[in-house]
Amino acid sequence: MATDKELNDFLENVERRAFKQAVYAVRKDESALDIVQDAMIKLAEKYGDKPAAELPMLFQRILQTTILDYFRREKVRNTWVSLFGGFSRKEGGDDDDFDILDSFEAEDGSSAAESSADQVERAQTLRLIDEEVQKLPTRQREAFLMRYWQDMDVAETAEAMGCSEGSVKTHCSRATHALAAALKAKGIRL
Amino acid sequence: MNTDDINLAYKVRHALNEQLDTLPASTTDRLAAARAAALARKKPEESFLQVKSAGSGWRQVFANFGGFVSAPAMSRLAVAVPVLALVIGMGGMYQHEQQQQIAELADIDAAVLSDELPLTAYLDPGFSAYLESQQRRQ
Repeated sequence: MATDKELNDFLENVERRAFKQAVYAVRKDESALDIVQDAMIKLAEKYGDKPAAELPMLFQRILQTTILDYFRREKVRNTWVSLFGGFSRKEGGDDDDFDILDSFEAEDGSSAAESSADQVERAQTLRLIDEEVQKLPTRQREAFLMRYWQDMDVAETAEAMGCSEGSVKTHCSRATHALAAALKAKGIRL
Repeated sequence: MNTDDINLAYKVRHALNEQLDTLPASTTDRLAAARAAALARKKPEESFLQVKSAGSGWRQVFANFGGFVSAPAMSRLAVAVPVLALVIGMGGMYQHEQQQQIAELADIDAAVLSDELPLTAYLDPGFSAYLESQQRRQ
């Protein structure tokens, strides 16, 4: 059973990574903060009595569910806004039908693409990597981040994502190859 | 995944971790506040709940059992014991009523059998008419 300190330490350890994960998915800092807060509260309220070892997988599952809930709410909200707001189309644009499972590669970041690969500074390189991770297809990004950033094993990742272990390995492999190709195309050597 | 892929994955991980250090203070403050809010609403431990909710009587007894029996078993027991007590109580009341009826019938039978009047007198219509005429006179 996780003590208050164990839960606090766990949340402190994962909160910034969870925030970035949410930002990658929803692309809005404020919404990402709300999602992380919701996920933290759900974890504490429902699974606060679970052993500390189970918390990482449970938190990831809650975080993914909360992100999906956000997209469902957004979709419903956008439907109502487009029904009753004549000018909402112009503001909403193509994002109205945005769905997490349908979200594939975004457009190339023009400012990043224009920057000279020969003169990249450390901060710019990091930003480019960040952008490339964000551009990954959703399932690939989730699998990659859980496996290599959240230190979850294949079985835990598969359970959190609700898919088979084979799928996790495939997603991770594709994500790594996509990142390698994208970074190579931008002249970034890690 | 080959070694190069894994190396790349860990280098990306390193870069992402470095990015975390550049998060603005407003974001980290908000995350800390969210963490505090979550901890304030942490689910209390099961045994603590039981002791806290246990007042007196049978609740106290169940709370003391908590150390020996698991929580789900305790909750099942908490439902089963009152239901069992109710069934046993109803059965007891039924038996008691039956016994009382038998005793009353036995008393009536004993009174009729021990009376000086013969039992056949009650079957004689003339005797009934005699009793009615006696009552009218009084």
